[in-house]
Amino acid sequence: MVVSWAIIIVLLYAAQTSLFTFVDYNGVSVNLMLLLTVSVALVHGYWKGVAMGFVTGLIQDLTMGDFFGCAIFSYMIIGLVAGRLSPRIFKDQFIFPLLGAPIAVVVHFFIMIGFIFFLGYQIDLLYMLQAILLPLIFYQLVFAIPVYKIVFDFDEFTQRHG
Amino acid sequence: MRNFTRKKNNPVRKIIALIVVFVVVFCSIFLASKGKLEFKIADKATMGVLSPFQNGFAWIGSKIILLKDTVIEIQNLHEQNNQLRKEVELLRAQNLTASEFAAENQRLRALLGYKQVSTQFDLVAASVVGREAATWSRVILINRGTIDGIADNMTVVTEMGLVGHVLEAGVNTSKVQLMLDARSSVGTIIQRPESRVAGIVEGDMNNPNSPRMINIPKDADVQVNDIVVTSGFGGIYPKGIVVGKIKDIHNDEGGLLKYGIVETSVNFEKLEDVAVIVASREAPPEPLKPPEQTPGTETDLEQNAEQTQEEQRQEFSSDFAGGDEE
Repeated sequence: MVVSWAIIIVLLYAAQTSLFTFVDYNGVSVNLMLLLTVSVALVHGYWKGVAMGFVTGLIQDLTMGDFFGCAIFSYMIIGLVAGRLSPRIFKDQFIFPLLGAPIAVVVHFFIMIGFIFFLGYQIDLLYMLQAILLPLIFYQLVFAIPVYKIVFDFDEFTQRHG
Repeated sequence: MRNFTRKKNNPVRKIIALIVVFVVVFCSIFLASKGKLEFKIADKATMGVLSPFQNGFAWIGSKIILLKDTVIEIQNLHEQNNQLRKEVELLRAQNLTASEFAAENQRLRALLGYKQVSTQFDLVAASVVGREAATWSRVILINRGTIDGIADNMTVVTEMGLVGHVLEAGVNTSKVQLMLDARSSVGTIIQRPESRVAGIVEGDMNNPNSPRMINIPKDADVQVNDIVVTSGFGGIYPKGIVVGKIKDIHNDEGGLLKYGIVETSVNFEKLEDVAVIVASREAPPEPLKPPEQTPGTETDLEQNAEQTQEEQRQEFSSDFAGGDEE
């Protein structure tokens, strides 16, 4: 189980950082780690959501992160919140990840902005909203259902086969 | 075992663990930002695990980009091809127009040259705007009428020779009966000075493109390739306009006369621009030129004058020298 999740995480992260950079918009492309965290949290609950947030954030911070811990913290928060909603939703309804993906990216965006601000950096919020957040929301909406489908099908597969 | 399970699922412990993790992560952010926390080994290990997959995906991505670029290039080439096709069509149309203008220019230049040469005629240039569909080679319509000074029975020519005469002058257009028409008859004469045989050129129903010169006495001096010009008899056609040349000579059925098949000088199938003779007068006589003299003979006036002057100069100088001696 752990190995399967590790393979999924590594493949999605490798795709995010190498494959989908070819279809970026002004340097912005899809954040599959965030989508994976939200999807796992919605399917499996907050505990696994936080765990997934920790792992995906750790990978991101170790490889690409400029500020170590920011992505971990942000993804864990998002995994926790999304996981708390898990018992209240129908998991086979794909509208929830579609709604959750843009909300999660907005939360992640403002957490990161908050950290950057508290660490003493000057930011142009309006520019960041236009240049980063809007294209990111678009990409997240496009990839939300495919990532959720991977997580959902994998969960059904593991339930069926023990 | 039961205690362990209870401990593992204890929500209070989970919450405490979560809070601890959050606090640790939160603190690590500020520590890491000040450079007090580094994970070099973990960084390298993660990169080592991820790099083969990233390389693989990067290779796939580059191929996809190559494919995308190729598709875009094909699309661009397609658009470029369409634009070039349109351009070629436009240029072909322009080329056609230019060729048309060039041809018209050539014809009009020839006609203008004829007009300048034919000082005895006042000409009005006209374009052929229509032909009678059934008998297209016999009656044509030109774009000049009475407002241009055209009247019935005026002669129509090109720089090559006789075309016909105005059958009916309208206001803006006129009908021209070609000399090929069977109803047309033109008084003609053989141009060769030794011959000067007169005859009538009339259209032939059976051979519309080659009229016949009839009423030629059997013993008249008419030969193949003789040039036929208008004689001025009859009052319609002025004298001296080229009609064509004798292509063939046949004996008439009656036995006393013969007729010649005339090859017209004008190509009636390519008739586009013509000129109408609105007034004609006798051609002014050519200025007389002295005949060429054989150099050194008595008739070479110029040389004689020079020679006389030289002799007078020599005589004067010898006389002047003799006076001094005395």
